[in-house]
Amino acid sequence: MSKRLLIVDDEESIRFAVKRYFTRIGFDVDCARELEEAEALATHTNYRVVIADLSLTDSGSTEGLEIVRFMRRSCPGARVIVLTAHGSPSIETEAYKRGADVFLHKPQRLQELAEIVDRLVSA
Amino acid sequence: MLDELRQPGALRLEFQPIFRFHGEKRSLYALEALTRGPRGTSMERPDVLFEYARRKGEETSIDLVCIRLALGEAAKLPGTPRISINIHASTLSAVPNFPRVLIEAAESVGIGARQLMLEIVEHRCTWDLLAMRRTLDELGEAGVLIALDDLGVGASNYHMLIDCRPDHLKIDRYIVSGCSRDRYRTAVLRSIVALGLASDATPIAEGVEEEDDLDVLRSLGIDCVQGWLYAPSLSAEQLMNSPLLKQQVRPEEVIR
Repeated sequence: MSKRLLIVDDEESIRFAVKRYFTRIGFDVDCARELEEAEALATHTNYRVVIADLSLTDSGSTEGLEIVRFMRRSCPGARVIVLTAHGSPSIETEAYKRGADVFLHKPQRLQELAEIVDRLVSA
Repeated sequence: MLDELRQPGALRLEFQPIFRFHGEKRSLYALEALTRGPRGTSMERPDVLFEYARRKGEETSIDLVCIRLALGEAAKLPGTPRISINIHASTLSAVPNFPRVLIEAAESVGIGARQLMLEIVEHRCTWDLLAMRRTLDELGEAGVLIALDDLGVGASNYHMLIDCRPDHLKIDRYIVSGCSRDRYRTAVLRSIVALGLASDATPIAEGVEEEDDLDVLRSLGIDCVQGWLYAPSLSAEQLMNSPLLKQQVRPEEVIR
């Protein structure tokens, strides 16, 4: 199984850091900064894991939930991690209801994130 | 992202030659204009670029940017090569007076309508059929050739053939690549040749990368080919320094 990873985050510094880390440990990494870009990439690429920020436009938005729904429909085998700095229990419940595999709160250490991704990939 | 794509210089353009065989001789039949997004971004991949535009509901505005870019780059080329430009079917009906918009834009850079071919792509059935047919008729009367792109995959199917009544059928690389080793691909190609003959549409095979595949295509009567076997996509500057443009046919020459 390929180790293709999609990172979806509106913050360039986060995309840069996560991409660099996962590339070093052997993943093929693509990045998207908005919902439609992520959907366009996932339409034409078979990702093993998607790491999506919950809010891509402003702090109250929930595009990450749309990405979970999209991935479940178009690529059911992909594992989806939702990351957020503004999550609430109801949002977390909604993310799992839509099919997220993991819901994480920022800040998140990259090493721990990689361990979670590894577990998902080898499960 | 969308605003960035519309900025001058954000999108880049390359041309890939389409060749036509006459016996053992081949000549340049057209140059397909291929748009690429900014380097180092996901939009560098054309499939992602146009999927993104469609998801934003902006395929028409991006089509118009691509047309102007293609015409501007084509104007740099010597001679009068036929320029083939991709366009969504929905754009044909969404832009008021599209034939005039296209032809005026072409003439403003010294390109005549008879030098143009439009490759129609579609991913959703969202066009206004009557308006599209009217547009296609006007384009045809002006001498613009119409090709149905990606035949055999996605939404480019018999429905589109009936609606567009094209001059050319562009056979998707998925069908072409490896046809010499796969009787199912050969069977599909044979059916497309018959379809072309019955509908006055000349097939063009995309993605021709192997001599063995070319031999099969030629044996089936497919004489127009495009692919890395003969030429990669090239910028206008690279084309100007290559011998390819010396082999061009006159735009008035139309295969029927």
